Amino acid sequence: MLNFNSALKKENQYNDLTIKEISPVMKLIVRGKKREFFTNIGKNLNMILPTEANTSSTNDIISAIWLSPDEWLIFTNNKVDENTNKYELEENLFHSVSKHNLGAVVNVTDQFVMLELDGKNIYELFSTGSPFDFSKFKKKQGSTTQTLLNNIDVIIRHKSENLVNLFVRRSFSEHLSSWINDSASRL
Amino acid sequence: MFIINCPYCGERDQQEFKAGGEAHIERPKQPTELSDDEWAEYLFMRKNIKGVQFERWNHAHGCRKWFNMVRDTSNDEIKLIYKMGEKPPVE
Repeated sequence: MLNFNSALKKENQYNDLTIKEISPVMKLIVRGKKREFFTNIGKNLNMILPTEANTSSTNDIISAIWLSPDEWLIFTNNKVDENTNKYELEENLFHSVSKHNLGAVVNVTDQFVMLELDGKNIYELFSTGSPFDFSKFKKKQGSTTQTLLNNIDVIIRHKSENLVNLFVRRSFSEHLSSWINDSASRL
Repeated sequence: MFIINCPYCGERDQQEFKAGGEAHIERPKQPTELSDDEWAEYLFMRKNIKGVQFERWNHAHGCRKWFNMVRDTSNDEIKLIYKMGEKPPVE
């Protein structure tokens, strides 16, 4: 069953900070190490997966975030059709990667919730609940990190200045958004 | 609180990591030939020394990769970090 219930019921605005959920967005996790894996992924995505730690790459349609030396999160830049969670890209990757035992392709569209945080106070908010040092992160566009926010695992990507994407597991999303709501209201 | 330099992600806070116990414990090649005492020795007994210790750590809330660490348990000083499969430095 499709689950597109929103963790954030509406766009929340605080002092120099806006938070909203971007949904539905296709999200895939791909894993692999072999050279053929990179070749096939590259052909399907029209993009090379980022191999440098804590970085991401993007084209017109999709973006890829480095998660570990053999794991990436791929997601669409724009919203997709909400009546289905079958995607052409997933099918193509499955046939060219998983079927040949080159790696794994997993659809995590419903597993992760994608939030967009916009405003000057993003890093003020993060500093109240994360052990990560954002000083270099906020200067470099496209940088990413997996860290903790209020003890919840999150993936954060620097999209542009004062604009970040945050991915959190759906079961934690309501808890995280209520913490954000509480913490951001005091900024 | 201390900073650990993950060999894959770079410097991160200790909060993101989980300790995985003593490193470089080899599984006996013929477990069936061991006595109960020898098997228990392999399975349960750890050095737990005060001083320089070889440990396994996992970047649980980051890249989720395992790595090895040489740490002085008396003052938490990290002497060396190296990837899994790499040879440990001479003690």
